[in-house]
Amino acid sequence: MDAWNKKHILGIKELDRSEIETILSLAQSFKGISKRDVKKVPALRGKTIVNLFFENSTRTRTSFELAAKRLSADVLNFSASASSLNKGETIIDTIKTLEAYHPDIFVVRIGSSASLPVLAKYTKASFVNAGDGKNEHPTQALLDMFTVKEVFGTLEGLNILVVGDILHSRVARSDIFGFTKFGSPVTVCAPPTLVPYGFEEIGAAISYDLDEAIEKADVIIMLRVQKERQSSSFFPTLREYAHLFALTPERMKKAKKNVIVLHPSPVNWDEEICSSLKEKLHPLILKQAENGLAIRMAALFLVGTRKRTL
Amino acid sequence: MKILIKNATIVNPNKVFKASILIEKDRIVSLAQRIRTKADKEIDAEGKYLFPGFIDMHAHFRAPGREDEEDIFTGACAAVRGGYTAVCCMPNTNPAIDNEARVRWLIEEAQKDDLIDLFPAGAITKERAGRELTEFVALKQAGALLVTDDGSAIKDPLILRRALEYSKMAKILVAEHCEEHALTQNGSLREGFISSKYGIAAIPAIAESLVVARDVELARYLNARIHLMHISTVRSIEIIKRAKKDGVKVTCETCPHYFSLTVDDAEAAGFSGNFKVNPPLGDKKDIEAVKKALRDGVIDCISTDHAPHSPAEKELPFEEAPFGFVGLETAFAVSYTNLVKSKILDLKNLAQKMAYNPARVLGLENRGKIAKNFKADLVIVDLNRQFKVTEKTFASKSKNSPFLGRELYGAIETTIHNGRIVYSAGADE
Repeated sequence: MDAWNKKHILGIKELDRSEIETILSLAQSFKGISKRDVKKVPALRGKTIVNLFFENSTRTRTSFELAAKRLSADVLNFSASASSLNKGETIIDTIKTLEAYHPDIFVVRIGSSASLPVLAKYTKASFVNAGDGKNEHPTQALLDMFTVKEVFGTLEGLNILVVGDILHSRVARSDIFGFTKFGSPVTVCAPPTLVPYGFEEIGAAISYDLDEAIEKADVIIMLRVQKERQSSSFFPTLREYAHLFALTPERMKKAKKNVIVLHPSPVNWDEEICSSLKEKLHPLILKQAENGLAIRMAALFLVGTRKRTL
Repeated sequence: MKILIKNATIVNPNKVFKASILIEKDRIVSLAQRIRTKADKEIDAEGKYLFPGFIDMHAHFRAPGREDEEDIFTGACAAVRGGYTAVCCMPNTNPAIDNEARVRWLIEEAQKDDLIDLFPAGAITKERAGRELTEFVALKQAGALLVTDDGSAIKDPLILRRALEYSKMAKILVAEHCEEHALTQNGSLREGFISSKYGIAAIPAIAESLVVARDVELARYLNARIHLMHISTVRSIEIIKRAKKDGVKVTCETCPHYFSLTVDDAEAAGFSGNFKVNPPLGDKKDIEAVKKALRDGVIDCISTDHAPHSPAEKELPFEEAPFGFVGLETAFAVSYTNLVKSKILDLKNLAQKMAYNPARVLGLENRGKIAKNFKADLVIVDLNRQFKVTEKTFASKSKNSPFLGRELYGAIETTIHNGRIVYSAGADE
């Protein structure tokens, strides 16, 4: 394993292939810890980790919290709704205040895209991105990659299909950067209104036709459809959206036999995925959550124990 | 049923030549100098001209809601009387054509008599309110070829952006009525010396070209297709010309009254409601620009904007009267008289503007020209026959035409749709 020397994990963009491999292989060994009787190792004992969540999150926050605790770190949960942000304290003031406690790692979830480099200037601690606006959600992509590797034994040469609201999805962006780094081509499939402008250049193919795109996919990553998008006319009705982009038993018949379906959760059953597929598809989606914990332990461990330089 | 049309001068978009054609069922099965096959019916078209059936991208059939002004059957009658075999009817009805059920209903109603193919245009937004997109994919599956909020432009550029983007997937044409309502307000007449002289509430020419400019900019930015309807001003044409030169996927249409009538004609008619239309009649410069744009290919199609209105409404004072003219029955003769006889276009060009180009813009295959295996949608015209436009010229329920009393050349003799004679001039005289 190469020595880890990145201070932050801001996005998959900023990681190279060998760094991703380091995280994935470390996660593999951490996965065993959660299956032990005593689910704790002293790897980050004495370190302080702040979960700094400016946006609502349950799954990601609890996953990071548990990851930190299993590594024996001290964890402080700070969420915007319960904070003085409502009293007019700025985001920067909040970070400066928390900095007074000398934390080692900030796990940050924030609504504004690509905002972490600016905020990181106000602390000596490392940042791990837990989702910044529409930019990236690197640990989600890493757990997707981990899950795919578990199933296929490789991350190379697989056809990845990401379906749904690409425009507003940090998961889609992180997945595109991640899988393409391993030579697995990514196709995004969505109505044109939900594909970002000029997205061809990002290195993903674009399709508006799920029936066609599904045929060659090895991995389908379904994204949640957000109902509020309908009222802003990104698509006319949920009915037409589901007619074109929902995963149905009929569509699944067009896919390869060994195709797998991932979803960042929570799934709106009968919106993006037909509930009659639940029995078949849900187990792997739940497995993603389990793998997510191992990925977050690996991420926290690596930035928390990196060799510092002057 | 086999129909043989002998000795016709065939007017195709690329060539005019003498030939005979044989029709079997709904197709043209042969095209040759001489055809010896026995047919159930023979038409000797010596001295007459055979055009591909005209295709109107823009008509108002008023159904549902104002069947006192027009219905699906009378609208189709008006169409075949004018040589049209396919018509797109606009969705600004009451209720609006904004869902697949209404599109299907219109098509099924038209199929009962099968005088023409009716292609209802769907609305871009629900209830034409400009806020939420309609189900383009469902509308297309039901048989709509284009979507438009005709009667108004899409006010919010974000909604138009979404419509243009979404249409790429739905493979449906987005068509715009170009009018900045904030500038037209309650205007009736083109803004200029005449509107000022009489104090008539006016519509400035830029009310059209501002929206044209915005729309081609959006189409350019999104690399999307857009079709601009009933174009009438010098500046609109200059903007479209430039956009086409730059490779923007824009097409457009004009209407017969925009190359044949001016605001002076409205004044001469004592501001009869029959001269009130939207966009309003322009001046001589506009007419010249429209003619030149037709010749240069900047304007792709001639549509009718057939807009029937009850006499009670059109008899109102100019500012009170509703906008629009009936036009299906007169469009060919007005175009032939004003464009071909005056050597602006040749016959081939006219076949392009009235049949071939609309078919291409709408994505209709095997239509718009006369060729083997093409659809037997045809019209025989007598170009030399001069006639006076009277109320009897119109099969429409409404007679609100600014051409009443005018002498025109180019009479429709016979219209054939799906291999069946659906109109013949002798029959109803």
